[in-house]
Amino acid sequence: MTLLSADDITIRDGATRLLAPVSLEVSPGEPLVILGETGSGKSLLAQAMMGTLPEGLRVGGTVTIGAQHLRAEDRAAFKGLWGRQIAVLPQEPWLSLDPLMRAGPQVAEAHRLVRDLPAQAAREQAMSDLAALGLEHAFRHYPHELSGGMAQRVAIAAARAGGAPIVIADEPTKGLDAARRDDVAALLLVALAESGGLVVITHDLALARQIGGRLIVLRAGKVVETGATAQVLADPQAAYTRALIAADPETWPRRTAQQPAGAPVVEARDLTLSRGGQRLVRGVSLSLHAGQILGVTGPSGCGKSSLGDALLGLLPPQAGEVRRASDLAPTALQKLWQDPVAAFPRTRSLGQTLGDVAHLHKAPKGRIDALLARLRLAPELLRRRPAAVSGGELQRLALLRAMLARPRFLFADEPTSRLDPITQAEIIGFLAELADEDGMAIALVSHDPVLIDRTADQICRLDRSVSETGTPQQVDLRHATA
Amino acid sequence: MTTTTLSRPWPSGRIIGAAILTLIAAFAILGPVIVPGSPFAQSLMKSLAGPEPAAPFGYDHLGRSLYHRLVHALRLSPLIALAAVATAGAAGLVLGTLAALRGGWVERVLVVLADALLALPGLLMVLIVLAIMPGTALGFWAGLSLVLWVEFFRLTRATARATLAGPAVQAARLLGFGWPYVFRTHLWPEVAPLMLTAAAFGTATAIMGIAALGFVSVGMRAPTPELGLMMVELLPYWREAPMALLTPVLATFALLLGLTLLAGGHRT
Repeated sequence: MTLLSADDITIRDGATRLLAPVSLEVSPGEPLVILGETGSGKSLLAQAMMGTLPEGLRVGGTVTIGAQHLRAEDRAAFKGLWGRQIAVLPQEPWLSLDPLMRAGPQVAEAHRLVRDLPAQAAREQAMSDLAALGLEHAFRHYPHELSGGMAQRVAIAAARAGGAPIVIADEPTKGLDAARRDDVAALLLVALAESGGLVVITHDLALARQIGGRLIVLRAGKVVETGATAQVLADPQAAYTRALIAADPETWPRRTAQQPAGAPVVEARDLTLSRGGQRLVRGVSLSLHAGQILGVTGPSGCGKSSLGDALLGLLPPQAGEVRRASDLAPTALQKLWQDPVAAFPRTRSLGQTLGDVAHLHKAPKGRIDALLARLRLAPELLRRRPAAVSGGELQRLALLRAMLARPRFLFADEPTSRLDPITQAEIIGFLAELADEDGMAIALVSHDPVLIDRTADQICRLDRSVSETGTPQQVDLRHATA
Repeated sequence: MTTTTLSRPWPSGRIIGAAILTLIAAFAILGPVIVPGSPFAQSLMKSLAGPEPAAPFGYDHLGRSLYHRLVHALRLSPLIALAAVATAGAAGLVLGTLAALRGGWVERVLVVLADALLALPGLLMVLIVLAIMPGTALGFWAGLSLVLWVEFFRLTRATARATLAGPAVQAARLLGFGWPYVFRTHLWPEVAPLMLTAAAFGTATAIMGIAALGFVSVGMRAPTPELGLMMVELLPYWREAPMALLTPVLATFALLLGLTLLAGGHRT
């Protein structure tokens, strides 16, 4: 028996085909993972199976949910199944809760309205749902009184209150650090044990590995590979799947450590930083030499960005000191941002912006073209505005812009956290190349301890209470995001 | 995709607003060329008489050509309003940027000043300045500027604060660009569309203010042709000459409608 099957689902936007015919089946007890990078059509496929595709897109094929056969284009027919047969876990659950309503009633509401339980029974059921997730004390709390992880569980309880046998989770770990990702995977597996059917849509290999079951790899709207998750990940057949797995930091070789030579480019002694009256970093000491990569890691809000800003001289330290090499020009300190779109002026073309920088730094003619070639970027991109370029290309253009200023220290603040794995591997590769060939000192911030472990010569681990600095062998990264 | 964002067509509301204003401006500038005449020449024989070739809109209670009075009225208040908006806009832009850039006590003082002015009714403010300043037109200009700059200041400060704190400006500073460059490429493109909207609304407010004070006979003095003053002068004769009264009313309405349409025009 299958819980859900989709046959020959195609999606078109006018003349462009966004999704080639895709068929899939979900059996009870066996999760299905749809893996693909941004733009691969994986979310569209999920929306087609739920009847939530935007009206402008044409969809073909049939979907069978339980005993119901539905034509995918008949979107209205799906409505009656929402919550009862098929439930969706919101992408960022803590944002999907009503901030003005207590946690318990939000879950009870779903029981009352979707399952038509009387108010009292709905309350009791909601209470027991929350208790099952270890949240009995959260019943009367407002979302803002809950931690992120707790709010996430409440949202999951509310989404599942209708008792739907099929749960679809669209990018459930987007923007989460490793520890929270493991929590979500565990919760999804609990949901699977209770309801039976689970579809997980993700670009995260670690999550796919944890969920297991069967795997579909999508790329540009086409199925690249299917099979048992463990087997595909262990022995990929398609070239694309191999590239995707090779891009996973777990498989990267560890960087050969650079021996410090000469005077440090930047140095921090007993640095204490605070922002908005809150102390973020206490007693950090480090020294970074030319050609070295410093990995900075820790949970969100621990002051990783503040540390970088202090090294750049943008944030005055509360105590301790930052020393930069005496021959360092003010513009020899550059930065990469997490969201490259926000780092460029919105209304100017990229060519204009880069031209201004080249002019200011008296870069010789052809320097931009040489750098474009080195970073494997098409010159046509320069005619566009920042919002019309993909994230990976724009981050490389941001790197290009920084290089026009001939930096000797680069602070890269989560430069790849919004990029797909293959692009991430490429950008990190460029950074390592800049350290090796141009002797740039780089401070790289990432919430991914594995990535830091593989790329950094020395590591600074920040936490709310402690911070330590050392080589990858000295710093224990397993607790980095605890 | 880029070309569409570069030259976004104006919404239709905005086009209609601009068309109305162009027509009014053409009338105010070319009016006396098409039909020569004076707004002050009286001919009591023609009191409240209907239209004729020398006076296409007829005559008022003192036998003055309504056409020529309207032409001059439509030059006077928009000119004062535009001058006041230009002054207020420049002051608001400079002070708002300064407040966002410097922060600290500079910002606090400016914000307190703006809030204090906001607490005072605008028309009262204009009246006080009118009492102090020598000329009426000059008084209106100064008073309206003093009322209107607050809006521009608040808009600029709010936008500038967000923009200046963003990564793009941080990047420009790290790359070694000076504040003039940051203002030109980062701040101005963000502020300019807001300023256009605020300027259109501000002009409408100013014209309305001048007309309102004229209507209660504390603004422009007779015999100056001014929209509010014309309305109150013709009000006693509404039964005999309804069209004469409607002339300044319709002109004011068209002017304000044009400005409001120009200010609005939400992007879809």
